[in-house]
Amino acid sequence: MNKIHKKIWTLTTVILLIMAAIWITLTYYNQKTQNQYNDILQRYLRMNEVTRTSQQVIADLNNYFITPTPENLEKLNNSKKKMENVQSEVLYLRNSENEFALTNYINLIDSLAETADRSLLFFNEHEKEDSAKEFAEATRISMYISEMTLTLIDSELNTYERFYRGIIEQSGEIKKLGIWVMLMITCLLMLLTYGFSLSITKPVQKLTQAANELSRGRFHLPIKVDSNDEIAFLAQTFDRMRININNLISEIQHKAQLEHELQESKLLLKESQLLNLQSQINPHFLFNTLNTLSKKAYLEGSHETSDLLVSVAGLLRYNLKRLDRPVTLREEVMVLQQYMDIQKARFTDRLQLKMSIDESCLQVDIPGLTLQPIIENAVNYAVEPREEGGIIWFRIQDGNDCVIIEVEDDGPGIDDSKIKQILQGQFIQTDGKTTGIGFTNVVRRLRLFYGYENIMNIESSADGTKVVMKIPKDRRGAA
Amino acid sequence: MRKMSILIICITCIVLGYFTLALAKKAFTAREDLPAAADEQDMKYRLVLITQELDTPFWDKAGIAAKEQARKDGASLEVWGSYGKNQEDFLKKLEIAIQSKVDGIIVQGLDTPEFKDLVKVKAAFYGIPIITVANDVPKAESLRKTYVGSDQYLAGELIAEQLIDDMGHEGKVILMGDKHKEYYLQQRLNGIHEVLKDYPGIRTVYAETTDVREEIIASTQNMLNQNPDTDSFIAIKANIAEAMIQEIGRRSQVEPYYIYSFDDGPDSLSLLKQGKLDGIIEQSPEKMGSLSAELILKWLKDEEVPLKSDGYLTDIRILKAMEEQ
Repeated sequence: MNKIHKKIWTLTTVILLIMAAIWITLTYYNQKTQNQYNDILQRYLRMNEVTRTSQQVIADLNNYFITPTPENLEKLNNSKKKMENVQSEVLYLRNSENEFALTNYINLIDSLAETADRSLLFFNEHEKEDSAKEFAEATRISMYISEMTLTLIDSELNTYERFYRGIIEQSGEIKKLGIWVMLMITCLLMLLTYGFSLSITKPVQKLTQAANELSRGRFHLPIKVDSNDEIAFLAQTFDRMRININNLISEIQHKAQLEHELQESKLLLKESQLLNLQSQINPHFLFNTLNTLSKKAYLEGSHETSDLLVSVAGLLRYNLKRLDRPVTLREEVMVLQQYMDIQKARFTDRLQLKMSIDESCLQVDIPGLTLQPIIENAVNYAVEPREEGGIIWFRIQDGNDCVIIEVEDDGPGIDDSKIKQILQGQFIQTDGKTTGIGFTNVVRRLRLFYGYENIMNIESSADGTKVVMKIPKDRRGAA
Repeated sequence: MRKMSILIICITCIVLGYFTLALAKKAFTAREDLPAAADEQDMKYRLVLITQELDTPFWDKAGIAAKEQARKDGASLEVWGSYGKNQEDFLKKLEIAIQSKVDGIIVQGLDTPEFKDLVKVKAAFYGIPIITVANDVPKAESLRKTYVGSDQYLAGELIAEQLIDDMGHEGKVILMGDKHKEYYLQQRLNGIHEVLKDYPGIRTVYAETTDVREEIIASTQNMLNQNPDTDSFIAIKANIAEAMIQEIGRRSQVEPYYIYSFDDGPDSLSLLKQGKLDGIIEQSPEKMGSLSAELILKWLKDEEVPLKSDGYLTDIRILKAMEEQ
């Protein structure tokens, strides 16, 4: 998960490694060159040393001859030993090109030592003449050695010149190489750094974009970052947050809608109650008056009028009390019959009511005053305007999980647009012919009560209108 | 735009990388190594050919042939010497060679006491075998192992016979010799005299000079003055010829004179080509070089002991101006 961390480390390590490699190479090369220079110089120095020590031997020998003291002899021996050491060192300088000359050179040193020894021997045996002769020879050999040293160094210079030039040339090339490598590494680092920074900034950019989208309220766009570092983790978390927010918002919206519906149903109820209250003052007086009238009619022997008045009173009472709570279908049907009694008294033969009721279905709950406005509607539009009257069919059937209530008439029918308005729950202008509670009100109350839209259907044609309601038997199950 | 720049950087990287690699390859390839250290156990015979006249055609040929032969036999041979018969330098080189304890010395003989002393005493002291080449010094005086080179006596005879062929049986010959009568010059002179003594019609005048140019010129002038009727010159020492001919040329035409010499001088061949010399004795320097190297190696390896003390003679022939042209 510490991916960015790792990336930085990797970049740093790579740069460090490259630098180290270059440094080591150059240092190694420098060391090598230096060693080679040193080797060459050493050769010259050693050869020079030979000349110096051989001359020292001659000088010490001479000193001893002049003042033959043990100290001088000691000195002589020392310088001879030194010369031998140098000679053995020179032996290592042999190579294929100077082998011959160097062997001669070494042998010359030998000869010098031998001649010097001989000279010393003769001197010790007091053969001065021989000693002097040998000494002269030794001096000559020493001279030859110096000359040969020069010749050897000269030939060494020749041998090593091209080598030396090679070194110089290579140094120049290394310098050039340094510049090239610098350029290349610069380029490479630019690329690496670019890629590296991109790998960090690109996911961040994406994240920023996503955050912008979220801040603008667009919660539906998924956040996707294709990197394998902390940013990706961040993006994932962010995405989860987005999804959660999205869910919460839709939940809130849902709740709001529910609340809205609840509010609406309350409003509708209030409206009904208001309408109810408005008609409460008159009805109570009317109710008492109707009862008095009924008694009066009964006493006067007009039984029919008395019954009618009782029906009117019953209807009125039902209207007063059954508005805000559900009633059973049975009660509703009873009120309907009372209402129809009154209407029959009004229209006599013009109104024919044909009822077919399945008794087993009358237990279902239904909001109060729902059937009466529909029948009233049918009476108002299908019977009242027509002189010959009309027929109204009222059926209650069992439809398995629901009760089907049908109200059919043979009137002139309703406009399609009007039906649509009714079914959509829009209030329509009424002409005051009804008891006050309109068709639309019924539709909306039914829907609120049962919790689903498709509760009522209206089929209308030129020779009749049929209103079909499907009332679920189990209100809770249907909801 | 961004992609473009990345592409450019990439390409630059590749190009730079290529050049860098190429340069690195060049810079780090092993440069020419130092000469390999010689094998210490490698005890090759070390031979030295010492001459008095380096860089003359004669001795170049001899040196190359000797080196070649030594290389073939697995020995190393170096040519040392002095320029223009510088005896002091020559003897010094010889002494260095002896003091350096080389395994064998091939030397152009020099008939001087110093030379003989070096060869007899020093070389013998260190046990170094010496072969004389081209010019001999008698064995009795030098203790040389052998001599490889021309029969100088025969060379003298040949040149005399050629003279008689060219000039006829009558005439006057000036023999220009060296004041320092070296052995090989003496041999040549003896050879010439040996032939000419049979022809009484030919008179000889012997003149001596040294190597110094002025002296050669002076003695040539002297000879011409004393013998205006001379017909022929023989430069017994090849080095004399050039100065001698120059002096003759200053007096008169060179062509009428019959002039002969030997091929071991620096200008012998060029003078012959110019037609100034009528004939020279051509020796076989290559043969001398290779044979001497071969013999000394054989002696060192005990393959041919002892060597013939009166020497191994190489071919000589007369080379005439006509042939050269």
